[in-house]
Amino acid sequence: MSERSERGPARPSLVAPVADEGDHVSEPSDGRAGLPGQAAEASAGARGWRGALVARWRGIAVVALLAVAIYAPFELVPFRVFQFTMVLVYAVALIGLNLLVGHAGQISLGHGAFFAVGAYTTAIMFDRWDVPYPLTLPAAAALAFVLGWAFGLPAVRLHGLYLALVTLAIAIFLVPLLKRFESVTGGSMGLTLAKPAPPAWTGLAPDQWLYFLALAVTVVAVLLARNLLRSRVGRAMRAVRDNEAAAEVMGVRLAFYKTLAFAWSAMFAGAAGCVYTWVIGFVSPDSFAVTLSITLLAGLVVGGLGSPAGPLLGGLFVMFVPSLSQDVNEAAPGVVFGLLIIAVMYVAPTGLAGLAGRAARTIGRTLRRE
Amino acid sequence: MSERSEPAAGDAFLAVEDLHAGYGDARVLHGVSLRVGQGEICAILGPNGAGKTTLLRALSGMCRVRGSVRLDGTDLAGRSPDAVARRGVAHVPEGRGTFMPLTVEENLRLGAFARRGRGARQSVADDLDRVYGYFPVLRTRMRQVAGSLSGGEQQMLAIGRALMLRPRLLLLDEPSLGLAPLVTRELFGIVRTINAEEGTTVVVVEQNAHLALGVAQQAHVLETGRIVLSGSAERIQADEQVAQSYLGYRV
Amino acid sequence: MAEFLQQVVEGLGAGAIYAGLALALVLIYRFTGVVNFAQGELAMFSTYIAWQFMAGGMAFWLALPLTLAVSFVGGMLIERVIIRPVEGAPELTVVIVTVGLFIFVNAAAGWIWSFLIKDFPSPFPAGSAQAGALTVSYSTLGNLAVVAVVMGALYLLFQHTKIGLGMRGVAADPRSARLVGIRVGWMLALGWGLAALVGAVSGVLVAPLLFLEPNMMGGVLLYAFAAATLGGFDSPVGAVVGGLIVGVAETLAGAYVGFIGSDLKVGVPLAIILAALLLRPQGLFGRAAVRQ
Repeated sequence: MSERSERGPARPSLVAPVADEGDHVSEPSDGRAGLPGQAAEASAGARGWRGALVARWRGIAVVALLAVAIYAPFELVPFRVFQFTMVLVYAVALIGLNLLVGHAGQISLGHGAFFAVGAYTTAIMFDRWDVPYPLTLPAAAALAFVLGWAFGLPAVRLHGLYLALVTLAIAIFLVPLLKRFESVTGGSMGLTLAKPAPPAWTGLAPDQWLYFLALAVTVVAVLLARNLLRSRVGRAMRAVRDNEAAAEVMGVRLAFYKTLAFAWSAMFAGAAGCVYTWVIGFVSPDSFAVTLSITLLAGLVVGGLGSPAGPLLGGLFVMFVPSLSQDVNEAAPGVVFGLLIIAVMYVAPTGLAGLAGRAARTIGRTLRRE
Repeated sequence: MSERSEPAAGDAFLAVEDLHAGYGDARVLHGVSLRVGQGEICAILGPNGAGKTTLLRALSGMCRVRGSVRLDGTDLAGRSPDAVARRGVAHVPEGRGTFMPLTVEENLRLGAFARRGRGARQSVADDLDRVYGYFPVLRTRMRQVAGSLSGGEQQMLAIGRALMLRPRLLLLDEPSLGLAPLVTRELFGIVRTINAEEGTTVVVVEQNAHLALGVAQQAHVLETGRIVLSGSAERIQADEQVAQSYLGYRV
Repeated sequence: MAEFLQQVVEGLGAGAIYAGLALALVLIYRFTGVVNFAQGELAMFSTYIAWQFMAGGMAFWLALPLTLAVSFVGGMLIERVIIRPVEGAPELTVVIVTVGLFIFVNAAAGWIWSFLIKDFPSPFPAGSAQAGALTVSYSTLGNLAVVAVVMGALYLLFQHTKIGLGMRGVAADPRSARLVGIRVGWMLALGWGLAALVGAVSGVLVAPLLFLEPNMMGGVLLYAFAAATLGGFDSPVGAVVGGLIVGVAETLAGAYVGFIGSDLKVGVPLAIILAALLLRPQGLFGRAAVRQ
């Protein structure tokens, strides 16, 4: 347990604080092929003053990262600002996926569909009713939550694999569905919309304003996820992941919590989709093909399942791996992602974030010994 | 505290030397040594949690071990269960391990899976007859799925399947568990017959010490992963104190 | 009525293909308890191998057995090399590895053969047989025949050979299988090899209908999942029956439900999966609901 203490300060500061989920962060398991983070939670006694120290360091790191994040758009060219905005958008979706896969141990191959639901909800509200954009966010999140609940209900009653099947089916079905309702969705051509403009008093450029909107949503999402995980419900979810049978014996209502976990994670994806529409100003069915869902899962796995930093790292991956490797070959991103996923599941089931944490602890231990 | 006043390594068929075993971080056996002569029945007794089942698992390669296990001179320690089985060790595990969805005959045929070469088909047919000879009830059920058998029949099937391996060493884990006394007695009778007729060496783990000592020549009492007492079955049966403290009944 | 029957027959033809891939899924599920999300992509890759052989001038009926052999060995290798390290790991881990394999194989095929569609010759003659008012194309008949042959071969393998008995033993109880001396690892590899082979058959049947391209099997995989869910994930017979039902349901829905048309047909497997989960989670032929 005391190993935990080396982790905070030594972690790369870029990564550490963003998705800090507090004390419920699970340790990477030592079994090389084990489920990520099944280790027990730290007991109160083991934390002690060192824990407090870590918490303080973490707090400092969070503030530092936030400062960098706020300062960055004033230094970067608009295209880079746009790229980092997209990283934040993906990170929000991945925070949701991380709740489901990393913490509740269920798998979704269709989070792109909920992302699309959020994006289209927002687009249609703009397009049809000229709704002010801040109002589209709760609407998109709520609709995704409800749909997640509805589809989760039959799927999670049984074996985890059925959720994967149902979500995959939804992801595949959604594209033709969006194309069909042309009068509402714009069909294959999609909808083009005005992006939210920066209020005059801010003096910000449009790309900077969008970046800050995305950053604000990301911060709220991080805080929300952190509170969810700290709540009773979060504990129940982890109990379900670690040992379903035992959790049931202890009186955890399995189906309820699994459905809830799924609905929440869908909600985050919906919110991310909403911000996506703000940022891109355009939606079309083919942007939300099943590839998006699978890429999201891939990003999260590579970033780190169940790890607080996983979603942000995953967002960086989802954004930059395709754009960097696409120059080599059209298929290169897939090859890279596919191999990375397999490799990550072998050597570091907690992904890059877990690897960094492990390295930090090893270094810390070595230093202490000398 | 293991006793080493046993026959010398040379003449023991099964020789276990300083065997440690466990699961993950939990260590269960702490240096068990014992010897079993060829054609002997050896009973392993002891309270719950003493490590009896683990000992059998260690012998058949089902858990990680340190130490040596020699069967007729070949070292078995560290080999996988299937490799150990192919060297003639048949393990009837706790819970019997029958292939539930398969028929009785398929279960028995699987017992002879490792056999190959010319004449295998005929020898398997012969062995099926032999097993049906020991357990006539299995013949009447041969087309039924194993899952539909009663507990006693399943235990017979499990032992029958083990015999199909033509074992040099037969490991039985709690054959009496969950069975009616009459069935248990019949089962032990058959085990003794098999031992007598085929000269199969048997190691049997049993809660019902009285029954086990009735068929065994040698017995070892295991407690918290160590052998605390070894000797001939008669001697152990006669020892009042042992009976009370380890076997849980008065003679 | 004649037209209805006509649609049913066409549905059966499509269903035969779904049944083939579903069979592959069920094979792996029964032996390893793993749902292989990469099954469709492996089938697609096999089809490309067949295409490559034929592009080299080989006749179809020579390329096919070669492709099946390569697929079989490839499937075994994948089990040994990629799945083995996560054997016994939590299901989530294994599923994610198969998803990784899905992405990798899909991209690798695109890398090697590009994402442009390719023509793939049908192994069956172009015409159709006439039976009363019904017109049944030879390719439909061929698909059904091939699946029947595969089914029959698997039945013989599992029910009447020693190796098949060993595989069933492993599927029933891997621990006991070890205790009777079966090399369980090799049996699992064999299961993957067989599944890859059966999948390759379905890929070769699909390709003439859909054109060959790396994403060819994505939709088919979904239908196969629906078939396996409907038939029961642990039942090969269920996979085939489920596949045929899904094929017929899809064709009829496309033809008679105006709203669905041809573009929304892909909603049919989703509906079937949801309905099966709600009404009969173990599937029509499955032994028990798949539970943790």
